[in-house]
Amino acid sequence: MGFILDGLETEAYDRNYNDRELLSRLAAYFGPHRPRMALVAAAIALNSLAGTGGPILISRGIDLLRDDASTALLLLLTGGVLLLGAIAWTFNFIQQWFSARVVGDVVLRIREEVFAATIRHDMSFYDEHPSGKVVSRVTSDTQDLSEVVTLTMSLFSQVLLVIVMSIWLSSINALLALVLLSLAPISVAIALSFRRIARRVTQHAKRVTAKINAQIQESVSGIMIAKNFRQERAIYEAFAANNRQAYHVQLRRGLTFDTIFPVLNIASGLGVAVLIYAGGLAAGAGAISPGNWYLFMQAIGFFFWPLISIASFWSQFQDGLSAAERVFALIDAEPKVVQTGSEPVEKLAGGIAFRNLKFTYTPVVTESRGGEDVLPDFSLDIRPGETVALVGHTGAGKSSIARLISRFYEFQDGQLLVDGRDIRQLDLSQYRRHLGIVPQEPFLFSGSVLENIRYGLPGANDDEVCVAAERISGGDWLGDLPQGLDTDVGERGANLSMGQRQLVALARVLLKDPAILILDEATASVDPFTEAQIQEGLAIVMQNRTSIIIAHRLSTVKHADRIIVMDHGRIIEEGSHAGLMAQGGSYAELYDTYFRHQELDYRAPELLDDRTPVLVW
Amino acid sequence: MATRREFKLANEYLYNRSGPVRWVISHALRYPIFAPLALLAAILNNYLYGNIQLSIGRAFDLIISPGWIGGSTPRTGLLFLALTVLAIALGQGLTGLARNYAVEFLAHKVERDARDELYVSLLGKSQTFHGRQRIGDVMARATNDMRMLNLMFAPALMLILDSAMAIVLPVFLIARLKLELMLVPGIFLALLAITIWDYNRRLNPVSNALREQFGTLNAGLAEAISGIEVVKANVRERYEWDKFTQNAQRYRDLFVKQGEIQARYLPVLVFSLAWAASFLHGVWMWRSGGITLGQVIAFMGLVGTLRFPTFMSIWTFNLVQIGIASARRILEMINTETDLDENIHGIVQPIQGEVVFENVSFAYDSEQASSQPVLKNISFTAQPGETIAIVGQTGSGKTTLTRLINRIFDANEGRVLVDGVDVYDWSLESLRSQISTIEQAPFLFSRTIRENIAFGCSDATQTQIEEAAEAAQAHEFIAGFREGYDTEVGERGVTLSGGQRQRIAIARAFLTDPRILILDDSTSAIDSATEDQIQRAMRRISSQRTTFLITHRLSQIRWADRILVLRRGELADQGTHDELMARSADYRRIFAR
Repeated sequence: MGFILDGLETEAYDRNYNDRELLSRLAAYFGPHRPRMALVAAAIALNSLAGTGGPILISRGIDLLRDDASTALLLLLTGGVLLLGAIAWTFNFIQQWFSARVVGDVVLRIREEVFAATIRHDMSFYDEHPSGKVVSRVTSDTQDLSEVVTLTMSLFSQVLLVIVMSIWLSSINALLALVLLSLAPISVAIALSFRRIARRVTQHAKRVTAKINAQIQESVSGIMIAKNFRQERAIYEAFAANNRQAYHVQLRRGLTFDTIFPVLNIASGLGVAVLIYAGGLAAGAGAISPGNWYLFMQAIGFFFWPLISIASFWSQFQDGLSAAERVFALIDAEPKVVQTGSEPVEKLAGGIAFRNLKFTYTPVVTESRGGEDVLPDFSLDIRPGETVALVGHTGAGKSSIARLISRFYEFQDGQLLVDGRDIRQLDLSQYRRHLGIVPQEPFLFSGSVLENIRYGLPGANDDEVCVAAERISGGDWLGDLPQGLDTDVGERGANLSMGQRQLVALARVLLKDPAILILDEATASVDPFTEAQIQEGLAIVMQNRTSIIIAHRLSTVKHADRIIVMDHGRIIEEGSHAGLMAQGGSYAELYDTYFRHQELDYRAPELLDDRTPVLVW
Repeated sequence: MATRREFKLANEYLYNRSGPVRWVISHALRYPIFAPLALLAAILNNYLYGNIQLSIGRAFDLIISPGWIGGSTPRTGLLFLALTVLAIALGQGLTGLARNYAVEFLAHKVERDARDELYVSLLGKSQTFHGRQRIGDVMARATNDMRMLNLMFAPALMLILDSAMAIVLPVFLIARLKLELMLVPGIFLALLAITIWDYNRRLNPVSNALREQFGTLNAGLAEAISGIEVVKANVRERYEWDKFTQNAQRYRDLFVKQGEIQARYLPVLVFSLAWAASFLHGVWMWRSGGITLGQVIAFMGLVGTLRFPTFMSIWTFNLVQIGIASARRILEMINTETDLDENIHGIVQPIQGEVVFENVSFAYDSEQASSQPVLKNISFTAQPGETIAIVGQTGSGKTTLTRLINRIFDANEGRVLVDGVDVYDWSLESLRSQISTIEQAPFLFSRTIRENIAFGCSDATQTQIEEAAEAAQAHEFIAGFREGYDTEVGERGVTLSGGQRQRIAIARAFLTDPRILILDDSTSAIDSATEDQIQRAMRRISSQRTTFLITHRLSQIRWADRILVLRRGELADQGTHDELMARSADYRRIFAR
């Protein structure tokens, strides 16, 4: 009976679709199941009729038995009550049996559609929709919107029950029926006002609890430091205060929730008392039979809880529609990357040319950069087989170049040519088979190392995977994995170290043997042994292909054919490491900012007044 | 219980810690008023509710008594009954409130006390314990398990109590009405128990499978979406779609199966049967003159109340089970004894800083044969004031090695000597207070920077704090904050970068002035200026102290006095940079860039 307190935690939500649109779209999903739905509806109606029939029969029976207490009549009545109960149960069975199928099928179809739509979207979509939210829309929201259906069905059956009963009672005595029905607004008002209080208390408690939990978390995490420095007493006092506060906040919420049912019970008792008296008088005056008086008594129990659940229906219904809207918004989102052709891409040499390309992620991004596009007017030619290192401060546009070549984003103006062909004209799936992309934090899927390497080339057999893996750093790294290629990488590669994940990502690319390599170098630090393996692997992977590298490693820039120095979406310098260093320009400055400390003989320069206490090192 | 404790509260309440159930009960008994109050209120509440049914029966008898309306006090009789019902309803509501409140207070008090107890016990445990315990584990017990403890009382135990009373009292009232009338309710309750048991037996596996399948669906989807860039780059959209739809289809099938089982919920049918049978039995008894027709109605009303307790059963018992399991986990942590001897009578003296490992081996769980040794036969000597760099792959045992020095762990074989004395012979207090560890992402409290730096010596003056910060290269960025040293760290204040946290921890160490320093510096500094400052700070703190440096930085390795090369728990080589370059191919490889 917790329904009064359902749906309290939902926050206000801006909706772009109106209720009618949402409902008609939802209805469309139920279209193919029309026969089943009709059956369910009929079962609901008959269930309600049988449900009301029971008490009516008993009341009538009592009147009849007072005149004629024959065994035959008694057995007949008992049989009737039993039969009505069995019928109600059967129709309830039919309703649940078929609605489970309908709801199951509809949810499945919506999930398939929303997932298909989601996976088609380009990366700009994923920038706007954090992955956690996408996941909850596909799994939880589809579930919630199906509950709108279940909820509506049960509402119908309850409303129907109340209506049938009301009509019957009115036909017995309109005045008493009116007295009974006047209870409805009172109990609904109580339920609604409680919901309002409960919502406020819940939201308050939620906020405060989150804060207090964070504080408790801190005091638990801090125990070790506190012990290190012998500050147990102080930290205990901080904890105790937090714990007391948590106690008060949560207790208050609990007490509020505890109050509602007893209060509603009092209200229902009030109804019983009123009806005992008014009904009794009516019976005394001969306006109703004693059996019908009893029926009115039973009706209170019938009316009371359905009415209260109707009170909470609306907000739950709205929650369901919000869920539906979130789901449909995913399906309806317009893809930004649009291919104008689907030319086959058999083989690629790997030449890439940017021609006066203009690009920004969204207007909002441009605005946040003071009206400046990420790439205002970008031109660059990369020869087949060339290794290009992109360097520059954060936000200079390095990653955007890599993403545009991957065709993860749409550009606004200019041209991007691959082997002289317009990238928009290519068959995207075929084109991407020629790309090898290593993101900054390599992503592994749960499964074995072998499966992860094969992800890049599904048709490869175990031997081919093995050969690719062995080529990375002479296969040394495989010896450090507990079960070699069969090692389970765990969720998102958690069983492997950061460096090992990078090695897997490199092997994945090597197996795929792409014409173009796009590498966003990791910034996370890796132990020197694994780092050496990565560097060796990288050298192998870069051989014989066009490589575009967003460089963070000094060794990488030093080995690049060409360094492109970027600033605010423009190329400000280009050349080799030695040449650019000799110029003493922007690159030399970047070197001093990002690369200097990576030199093997780096030592931090001493401050003048800092020199005295340093002894030996 | 735990005899060796490092922290104690004055007049601490003692709980029974010999088992989870006893422990929970002893917590509940600390407030002896609430449990009996809740029981009493639940009994009264259900008794009163039953009495409403009895009153309805009496009212029925009244209105069918011939000519009652013409009598002298008929209306008063009816009015009296109506008012009685109102009074009973009020009483029922109030006892309901009393029952709910009593349990609610108890639940929250137990949660609060248990958390306090856990916390105090954690403070009482040694560094060894905390060194081994994963913080996430402790957190789960301090928050989630505590919450479950609470939920076990409110609503679970409360509902069980109430459901039990909602069965016992109507049956009691029926028996008082007429003993024979217990026949139908008796059979009904038996059948009900059987059908509910059977229903759960069939439903539980499917519901669990459904829940699991939802988890699988969710996890698979989360993986595909988080890795969407890889999916797209490798053109595996079709594959991921197939995977997803298979999972979704399986979910749908289980959902339908669950619906089918729920559709066959027999207890409702059993109730209909009981309802009809009660009618038959009641009227039968009336005909034979045993009871009045009003009593038949009262009887039916009481049977009707038996319908409700059947709804809550499954879920509530699950909650209790979960609560007990949580209690067990919490208690386990409270009861964990530190197996380390504090050795109060051990050697207390200033440390010079010589550290010697003699054939040291270590495994986390040496009792178990399957347990892989983390360190194997390690021997080396560190002279006072030396800086020893430890290099090796992730998982090669670098951190574990340093933890043997301050006895977070104890070696299984071999000896660790500090200043020529086995660490076992040192007083733990004396040993540890002179050894400091600076982790790569040090923990800071949500307090001011000043308080964080002076955490170990609260009587430090502002000058001392600033000097320490200066030496740690932290003064500059601290002064850059608007509120300087009074800047709050964390949620309410500034978020510090890893490098900044590290330098604050170094400042903290300057104030406590340890003789042996363990520096874990595996973070990555992206820019050279930060790197300059971190290195300067480290150089100052490590000068004149024996320093163990775990680092990924080639430059630091290179300038260390000596380098230990660890490979899969073994000391592959040791020496100066030049020595290693000359003789170790592995070592040369890392400098071959």
